[in-house]
Amino acid sequence: MSHEKREVTVTIDGREVTAIEGEMLHDAARKGDVEIPVFCYEPKLGAPVGACRMCLVEIEGIPKLQTSCSTPVRDGMVVHTRTDQVKKAQNAVVEFLLVNHPLDCPVCDKGGECPLQDITQGWGPGKSRVIDEKRHFEKPIELSPLVAIDRERCILCYRCVRFSQEVSEDAQLQLLERGDRTYVGTFDDRPYVSPFHGNITDLCPVGALTNYTYRFRARPWDIEQAGSVCTLCPSQCNVSFTVRDEKVKRVLARENPGVDDGWICDRGRYGFEMFAAAERVTEPRTKGGTKVSYEDAIARAAAGLAARDGKVAAIVGDASNEEGFLVQGIVRGALHSPHLDSRPAAGPGIDAILDLARPELQATVTDIDDADVILVLGTDPLQSSPILDLRIRKAIRRSGARLAVATERPTALDGGAEAIARYAPGQASYFIGALTAAVASGAENVATPLAESLRDAGKIVIVWGERLGASATNELLGLARALDVDGPKTGLSDGFSAHQQVGLLEVPEVANARGLREAGVLPDAGPGLAALAVNGYGTEAIREALIDRSLDGLILVGVDPLRDFADTSRWEEAINAASFVVCFSTFATATAAKADVLFPLETHAEKDGTVTHPDGRLQRVRPAAGRPGDIRPGWQTLANLSLALGHDTGVTSQPTAFAALTAAVPFYASITESNIGGRGIRWQETESGASVPDAGIASADARSRRVSGESTPASGTSTAAPGAATDSPDTQRDSASAEAVAAPGAPELTLGTYRDLWAGPITELNPPLKFLKPSQRLELSPEDAERLELAPGDPVRVSQGDKSIDATVTVHERIPAGVCFLAEGIAGANANALLNGHQVNVQIEKRSEVPA
Amino acid sequence: MPHALETRVLLEHAEDPRLATLQGYKELVDGYSTLEKAYRSMEQDEVLKALEDSGLRGRGGAGFAMGKKASFLPRGDMEKYLCCNADESEPGAFKDRELMQRNPHQLIEGIAIAALAAGIGRAFIFIRGEYDRQADILDAAVLEAYEAGYLGEDILGTHRNLELVVHRGAGAYICGEETALLDALEGKRGNPRLKPPFPAVQGLYGGPTLINNVETLSNVPRIVAKGADWFRQYGTEQSPGTKVVSISGGVRRPGNYEISLGLPTRDLIYELAGGPLPGRSVKAIYPGGSSSPVLTAAEAMDLPYSFEAMAEAGSMLGSGSVIVADDTVSIPHMALRTARFYHHESCGKCTPCREGTNWTVKMLERVVRGEATPMDLDIISSVQENIMGHCLCVLGDSMAMPVSAMVRKFRGEFEQVMAAGEAEHGIDPHLVVDLSPEALGAAS
Amino acid sequence: MTPVDGAGASNPNLPVDRAVTVGREPSSSPEQIPQLAEVDCPPELQERIEALMARYPERKSASIPALWAVQERYGWCTPEGIRQAAAVMRVTPAYLESVASFYDLLHTSRVGAHRIEVCTNISCWMRGGDELLDAFRAAAEGEDVFVTGFECLGACDIAPMASIDQRYFGPLVPGEAQTAIDQLLSEDAVLPEKSLERRPLAGDTEVPR
Ligand SMILES: Cc1cc2nc3c(=O)[nH]c(=O)nc-3n(C[C@H](O)[C@H](O)[C@H](O)COP(=O)(O)O)c2cc1C
Ligand code: SF4
Ligand code: FES
Repeated sequence: MSHEKREVTVTIDGREVTAIEGEMLHDAARKGDVEIPVFCYEPKLGAPVGACRMCLVEIEGIPKLQTSCSTPVRDGMVVHTRTDQVKKAQNAVVEFLLVNHPLDCPVCDKGGECPLQDITQGWGPGKSRVIDEKRHFEKPIELSPLVAIDRERCILCYRCVRFSQEVSEDAQLQLLERGDRTYVGTFDDRPYVSPFHGNITDLCPVGALTNYTYRFRARPWDIEQAGSVCTLCPSQCNVSFTVRDEKVKRVLARENPGVDDGWICDRGRYGFEMFAAAERVTEPRTKGGTKVSYEDAIARAAAGLAARDGKVAAIVGDASNEEGFLVQGIVRGALHSPHLDSRPAAGPGIDAILDLARPELQATVTDIDDADVILVLGTDPLQSSPILDLRIRKAIRRSGARLAVATERPTALDGGAEAIARYAPGQASYFIGALTAAVASGAENVATPLAESLRDAGKIVIVWGERLGASATNELLGLARALDVDGPKTGLSDGFSAHQQVGLLEVPEVANARGLREAGVLPDAGPGLAALAVNGYGTEAIREALIDRSLDGLILVGVDPLRDFADTSRWEEAINAASFVVCFSTFATATAAKADVLFPLETHAEKDGTVTHPDGRLQRVRPAAGRPGDIRPGWQTLANLSLALGHDTGVTSQPTAFAALTAAVPFYASITESNIGGRGIRWQETESGASVPDAGIASADARSRRVSGESTPASGTSTAAPGAATDSPDTQRDSASAEAVAAPGAPELTLGTYRDLWAGPITELNPPLKFLKPSQRLELSPEDAERLELAPGDPVRVSQGDKSIDATVTVHERIPAGVCFLAEGIAGANANALLNGHQVNVQIEKRSEVPA
Repeated sequence: MPHALETRVLLEHAEDPRLATLQGYKELVDGYSTLEKAYRSMEQDEVLKALEDSGLRGRGGAGFAMGKKASFLPRGDMEKYLCCNADESEPGAFKDRELMQRNPHQLIEGIAIAALAAGIGRAFIFIRGEYDRQADILDAAVLEAYEAGYLGEDILGTHRNLELVVHRGAGAYICGEETALLDALEGKRGNPRLKPPFPAVQGLYGGPTLINNVETLSNVPRIVAKGADWFRQYGTEQSPGTKVVSISGGVRRPGNYEISLGLPTRDLIYELAGGPLPGRSVKAIYPGGSSSPVLTAAEAMDLPYSFEAMAEAGSMLGSGSVIVADDTVSIPHMALRTARFYHHESCGKCTPCREGTNWTVKMLERVVRGEATPMDLDIISSVQENIMGHCLCVLGDSMAMPVSAMVRKFRGEFEQVMAAGEAEHGIDPHLVVDLSPEALGAAS
Repeated sequence: MTPVDGAGASNPNLPVDRAVTVGREPSSSPEQIPQLAEVDCPPELQERIEALMARYPERKSASIPALWAVQERYGWCTPEGIRQAAAVMRVTPAYLESVASFYDLLHTSRVGAHRIEVCTNISCWMRGGDELLDAFRAAAEGEDVFVTGFECLGACDIAPMASIDQRYFGPLVPGEAQTAIDQLLSEDAVLPEKSLERRPLAGDTEVPR
């Protein structure tokens, strides 16, 4: 896969331009500062279609004008873009585009930021000769609950339709009818609903597709655009906030090829209305909801925590690197406690984390683009990191990447996979072990078909989920090693780190997981992943320690254990047992209600700070909107709290917080706000990147043990606490298989759970997305549904021991018999209530009543 | 019986219904003997050379040399395709219908031999959905050919394969455009594709694809059987061979006539088609289907009916379909009919065609309603100019060419019709216009 | 200076969409690729579409033939029929509707049990195609017969002509429209003398006006 990029010289309007062979003339011209107007051309949408004809230019030696969007440059080409012949064609095309355009610019939301207006002014004839009736459509109508379509304004550039076809691959948005009767629509006038559909409003070059959330809310001269990063999921897409009167009115994609390719999901685009939700915490409070001043709140928090010196633990979720760093300073420095974590469940130990942080093992987002094989392991990117779903699709569609999927639950990517393996919930490590054996020694087992896909691949990217759990993560390292050892040594391509042909890209559970770990929010590593003298408890161990009273105080930053963590009732017990709880929260959650002192948190539209992408890219979240109410920056509150606890961090501003962070994390040392810039920077690519510590147990010996198939002790034992459950090694490793699921006929099903993209405040507190609020569905295989005499839509009660939740049945052909799935985080019927840290089986019983 | 001026080669024995069966085809015209010879004893290059030497030009519209096109297909083991263009939807054309209905095996044999010449293993006949009966006939013939071992795997034990599927369209003229045809065959909306890449390099399913018209392919068996010299004895230097010409409109005997190319146009219209209806005279003709620029009777009659002569006269032979407008026909109305067709059939993908055709129709409607001024005629002409050469495929040009020719050559008549319409609508009561065909005679 | 007409300031007259305040609900459920189990596809239709898909190297090629099959089965491309075909072909119904709506012979709304297309293009128009269309329209009034004007059907030799249930007839005079529709409704052979199939090879006889 060598991409030889030959340079060629073309002459455009008399200027010599150096371009890359094969590049489209339009793009080459831009390099020479010659702008050729386009409507339909958008390289992100795949091959050019040459439909609008706006970009016609004259090429010497070719009698007819050619579309510059679809003509690859050749060396020595001589091109003219402003001759009379070209101008005539441009005038003609603009005039034609306006034949049926309503020219309702005064009441059009696109007015002032409309390519059609701009191009008409720049390249149009300046007057109209059309006096005939224009085509009419009902305007505007609902294309989806979020997007209005005004078909009269549409110039049929097909960008939106190509998005649906070529990018999100949902094929729901289509052209209907023919000729000038053509219009954009859906089957049977159904709504267009896909998790990415808002992108079509960015793509539309006229006012045909507008967001209901933005209609009539501002004019271009009323607004400011502020570039930032969306931290609603680990994708960390780059966005631009449209702000009017200090409030976010719109979110646009801001293209960053290293992160998002210029797309954002509908969560990121439409989630912003929740920033103003009534449930928003806008000032410090004490238990019972009494508002207090920041000074008062800090004093109370400091007093309460100081009284429990050495017995306080912290769990951090949604937070910036600086906030995470300050929290670990408070816990370790001021409260003399080693107990803190940033992961919702027991994770791998520091050795494995260090192994995974090795730069040469790290796949970047762009590595997906030219991978030969992508292995999606233990995650459904659509649910957990949506933009990666698009990225993987693109690799398959455009570069012919092959996809293998190994997950518990069917994923959105299954359709494009050449090999799919389903393992039972809790069996991930055995499955990966089997896969490793199949790869390393050609062992015949259930993972063999998947191993075949991975065999002769030059470049493999493994996109894996943090959900895999600690022991599976250890196995993953063994797999990577096996692939590296036995993979072909030729075919190294650029863009892929160092000597490895296999790269790993994590899909973590929280948006800034990597940043928090690297800032030291781990029980067994400090800032910079440095080894500690004393290791502390991880999340689950903290819970158990609270229950048995060996811990007493709790700091929660941007986490909601009562919704998001497994085993709800035990968490409730733990938080109730804690005699003092300080909570930082954006919304008034059930967890926040239990806080003795509650501090507000900023949203990513308000925050100033850095976050670290799963591939190591530090990005800057910039404050775009005003902070509502009395909210103060998180770094400030934390620094003040630290100070009140007698631990002076020296942090007096975001820049000083950032400086403190980079000083503490050696491999962040050469990162500055300016080299982060608008696109972020991967620490692995900086001078200081080499200062990442070596993995302590990253020895060939440890790996060969894994590869040879001996059982591995669960790593991260330091995080195990009294009574805490980690996935325990099993002796039946050889039978690791998708069939290792409860045999049909057994009265119980193994429960698997997943995080639904739409569960949580995003649909509960945010009116625009309310219609997507998921209800709890019990997903079953057809076999089990038949056996249990359940039909789609049947109401059921799912129980585990004395705990139960209600759900509605759905039957899915790609679920193996013996397992069933429920979603986590759904208010009222949360699968977390049934979990206990072990693999659980559930009973299912049909309910007679239909849920309201 | 054929007229003395006809030269029936493709239509030889076509009046005999037995020709449509395999047995009849073999008995009447020694059918499939060329296929046997070619498959059994000829090399790909030999067949290709015969086609190239014959100078056979495409009969679908563009007149591109068939053998040359076949030679553009790359050699190699990749999957290659042949698509027979049987979409025949251009107003005035109905020759392919006759050829398929009366002599389906000739086409199948031609496809099989052309496939051999270009190393192709899979072929499709894309037939317009309206030709249901003809598609049934083809289906039956294809089945017969499979059963006789002329199609399928290991044809006649030669280890050569050819799959042939008859694919019915569903009513869209644009599918006759070769790349739109490919999209339609791939199950999509029939939108033309950007060229390059040309189908010979990257066509159906991304593979090299040879696309030829029914009549073009029907010529193949005899050329390969009898040789290029035999073929070149018919027609002219630049337009060798015979041509089935569809003649319709204001003539006594509309129909398909097979002629040696180069026959005087006058003979075609007056001798073969019987000339205009009693009491009428020829005013103008479309010499090559509705997309060819209209010629006045005076311009047309003395021209030899050949590709080169029509091109020289500023028109084209196209698919070889002559539509005759007699003196009762109002040219502005004919222009409107023509424009309406292209407006209806524009696929809508590219701007100049989609909007240019609808705007032209609206303006011509105003013309015939009398709601236009001479300035509108200038706008109409300028819009045609703005369409030409700016579209993705040539459908847009196909309207622009005849319409602008009509406005240019019959401007007086347009002005009269506009004025008459005005009178009818009470716009200008002082204008009294004679609406009789005589009064509206050609401006030429 | 105060800004003109609310420019630069929040204009209280501008409506805030209910999407922002309470949220909008979708009017119906979106449609992805339907599962076969949901659509109740008649087995013959399913078999036929599967056979059609097998004729091509890529299954999508069968979309037009599959839509023909749907139309044959239901009289037109009904939403249900499209969903059934989509489930068999594993494409979205939107895709098939998009294809169907491109083509003139595939109907995405109800048409009659019989379909008559009357050519009104140049050659037929010259010979009375418009009048013939009017006559057919009048004759079909109130009957379960769909009559439409159509572009050139490729039979200008028998102008003016009509395609009646996919068979060609011409040259026709307006008076024959009623006869044809009567025959159609009583299931008699339609205008046998005017069938294209009866026509001898062009040029062998004269076609009267
Ligand atoms: C709008 C349009 C419609 C066409 N329709 C037909 C057609 O119906 N039949 C046909 O053979 N060629 C048609 N053509 C020409 C084809 O694009 C192509 O040139 C031809 O099939 C090549 O075959 P030939 O070389 O044997 O003529 C059409 C072209 C255009 C632009
Ligand atoms: S010229 Fe017309 S038919 Fe051809 S691509 Fe453009 S819109 Fe379609
Ligand atoms: S931008 Fe080139 S044709 Fe549209």
